[in-house]
Amino acid sequence: MSLIGEVKFEFMRDLGAPALMRLGKAGKKRARRPADPHFGPPLKCAARLKQIMTRHYFLARYAPGARPVAWVTSGAPVELLRVLGYYTIYPENHGALCGAARMGSRLCEEAEKKGFSQDLCSYARIDLGHFFSGQTPAGRLPKPDLLFASNNICQTVLYWYKALAHYLKVPFILFDTPYNYGSINEADIDYMVAQAKEMIPTLEKVARREFNEDRFKEVLDLAKETSLTWGRVLATMKQKPAPMTIFDAFIHLAPVVSLRGLPVALAYYQLMLEELEQRVERGVGAVVNERKRLMWDNIAIWFKVREFAKIFAAHGMNFVAATYTNAWAETIHYLDSADTWRSLAKAYSLVILNNNLNHRLGLMENMIKDYAVDGLVVHSARSCKPYSVGQYDMRRILMERLNVPSVVIEADITDSRHYSEEQARTRLEAFFEALED
Amino acid sequence: MSDRRQDYLRSQKALGRHVLGVFPALYPRELAWAMNSLPVEIWDPPLAGAQAHGHLQPYICSVVRLGLELILSGQAELCDAFLFPHTCDSIQNLASVVHDYIGQERPCYFLYHPKAPVGPSARAYYLEQLKRLAGQMGDGLEPLTDERLARAVAQGQEIARLTAELYAARAEGGLATGAGEFYRVLRRGEWLWPEDHAAELGALLAAGRHAATRPRKNPGPRIILSGIVPNPPEVLTLLDELGAAVAHDDLLGCGRRLLFTPSQASDPWVALTEQYLSLPPCSTRGDSIVARRDRILELASASGAKGVIFLLVKFCEPELFDAPILAEELKTEGLAVLPLEVELNQGLSGQTATRVEAFLEMLG
Ligand code: SF4
Repeated sequence: MSLIGEVKFEFMRDLGAPALMRLGKAGKKRARRPADPHFGPPLKCAARLKQIMTRHYFLARYAPGARPVAWVTSGAPVELLRVLGYYTIYPENHGALCGAARMGSRLCEEAEKKGFSQDLCSYARIDLGHFFSGQTPAGRLPKPDLLFASNNICQTVLYWYKALAHYLKVPFILFDTPYNYGSINEADIDYMVAQAKEMIPTLEKVARREFNEDRFKEVLDLAKETSLTWGRVLATMKQKPAPMTIFDAFIHLAPVVSLRGLPVALAYYQLMLEELEQRVERGVGAVVNERKRLMWDNIAIWFKVREFAKIFAAHGMNFVAATYTNAWAETIHYLDSADTWRSLAKAYSLVILNNNLNHRLGLMENMIKDYAVDGLVVHSARSCKPYSVGQYDMRRILMERLNVPSVVIEADITDSRHYSEEQARTRLEAFFEALED
Repeated sequence: MSDRRQDYLRSQKALGRHVLGVFPALYPRELAWAMNSLPVEIWDPPLAGAQAHGHLQPYICSVVRLGLELILSGQAELCDAFLFPHTCDSIQNLASVVHDYIGQERPCYFLYHPKAPVGPSARAYYLEQLKRLAGQMGDGLEPLTDERLARAVAQGQEIARLTAELYAARAEGGLATGAGEFYRVLRRGEWLWPEDHAAELGALLAAGRHAATRPRKNPGPRIILSGIVPNPPEVLTLLDELGAAVAHDDLLGCGRRLLFTPSQASDPWVALTEQYLSLPPCSTRGDSIVARRDRILELASASGAKGVIFLLVKFCEPELFDAPILAEELKTEGLAVLPLEVELNQGLSGQTATRVEAFLEMLG
């Protein structure tokens, strides 16, 4: 890391970023959207979220030379990197950002021009497309010194990061998490612990710092508390009316995914929780006239979040639960600073996408009961095989067991070329009718 | 010996053997043999996917679709159990669908194998996984002893030796066997008992070598096949008709998993582990693309192959991520490359056949 880089980074952190935030605030005042009568008052904390994420991407530009930079998958044990001061960028989060900004398909095409099939995960295509073209709504992403992935969410990230490593010529570290077909045993944990320890010398070498076990404990505690607080945030939606919607949660998820293990993420969710609890106390719902409560399965259709939120709210329907947003609250609580390495292995290998489908079914059944869910919307995401294979049966079984009506929307997380407005409308109309029966 | 798989399986069951339906790709056949169980691999059964459509989205590959169809249509009735190696996301979830969702009662076994970049811990873990799998399979099968396993390992090594000899003879031009016949016999190992398969491989080697002593007119261009399996079979027929010689392959179902280095270890568990780690680089294990490129370049230079045909199964993520980079790298090194997107058992379109012809013509 260079002295000039360090000075520049600190200057931008202390002066540049706050100035940008002030400018952003001023701009915001000019561009207010008219309020939608179907929604309750917007969350005040959203402004703070925007600041945090804008600052994160803004500062990222100045990180090279000042901080070791890593590109990381959403399910990787980032706590190991936090100990060593890495500046982390989450290509999946960036992919979602591109999807929401409706740039997804354009970036995918950039990867396709280089021969990557249209059938591959669109987060990966966006990331590769960004690499080839430099296009992004986030200004500029810093080149990584290291790629860090865990296949606890999918094997796709292994192939994708391998491709990135080939182009970027930087070290690639994989945290290999055995899939939980029935139960994770001691041998699995031993294997993961051994791997985590094997990777430390490379992480240290790239960061030019030594790994510190005490700091590791602190980071684990912080990450755990952040995840627990995120869980409490989500749990507020058990209340009727729910003080937020899952579409809010899709957006407010960003810090627990990409800033986990940093104080800013915890502070943010404390703020958010406070606001939500006040809303609950005052009976303020996210959707005016919440008549039906729904659950979402799979990642969001990022380019349709706003539109879907409106369509459902107009019918007095609110999404109060999602397997996706729950993922960052479900297992991180296993982290335990008294048993650092083994608890890390457990927390990261038991996440929803690394767990058998029976587990997912049980989880969904519980959520349907706990959140008093009336119906289920299944997003069959062409990009994401681990999330999508099995959904048809899951839906059938949930109907048999709990009599919950559901609808499948065939779409994609960010590539709008795989979305048919017509098909979605027809299916949703039938679903709305079924819910009213 | 029966040419029909179902008849053969019945005859094996009559000998008291269990039949284990195995999904792709990397697994220790020796473990099953040692427990008097016949592994029958489910790569590309010749079926239409009618019933599987109700369970799988249209964007799932045909290996998974056809495998599920085989079970749903009742055509896997001879299987006493199923084994799912952890090959990719789709097979991972298929394992859970079959085990948890479709109400079939037969036991399902699972094998997780470590993914690259493989560190020192992977070796110990893989060995542990083999023992875990043996433990899972233990119920209802003949007890596993080290002697039985050692015998099975020796059988596996004999097959590997014959296979390596066949590949080497073919690469050197000393095997006058068409691609169709070569892969037909090789792939019978997906369901034959090892002695039966060894006999067929030996016969193929002898016949091919003998035929190679006769002079051949205008030998066509030499190529390497890459992808999952040599399917659709019409590709092989076309190559044979056009006089092209498949000099080697980088196929997951063939060279990438059959050409291991036989281990000298006396402990059969260690031998199986070493053999797994010695396999050629593979997308499904997450090996580096450079390692895979280097292997293909080596094969090409040793066999005189001038081009590579990629048979890319639609929706196959591990292959589709590697392919563009691999193709680019191979081109840079002077090899011609033809990527073909295929659906298993769907034949060859006229357009694809024309592309293959043009490719071979270009190779001269
Ligand atoms: S969308 Fe699915 S396949 Fe793509 S990176 Fe995320 S978990 Fe993996």
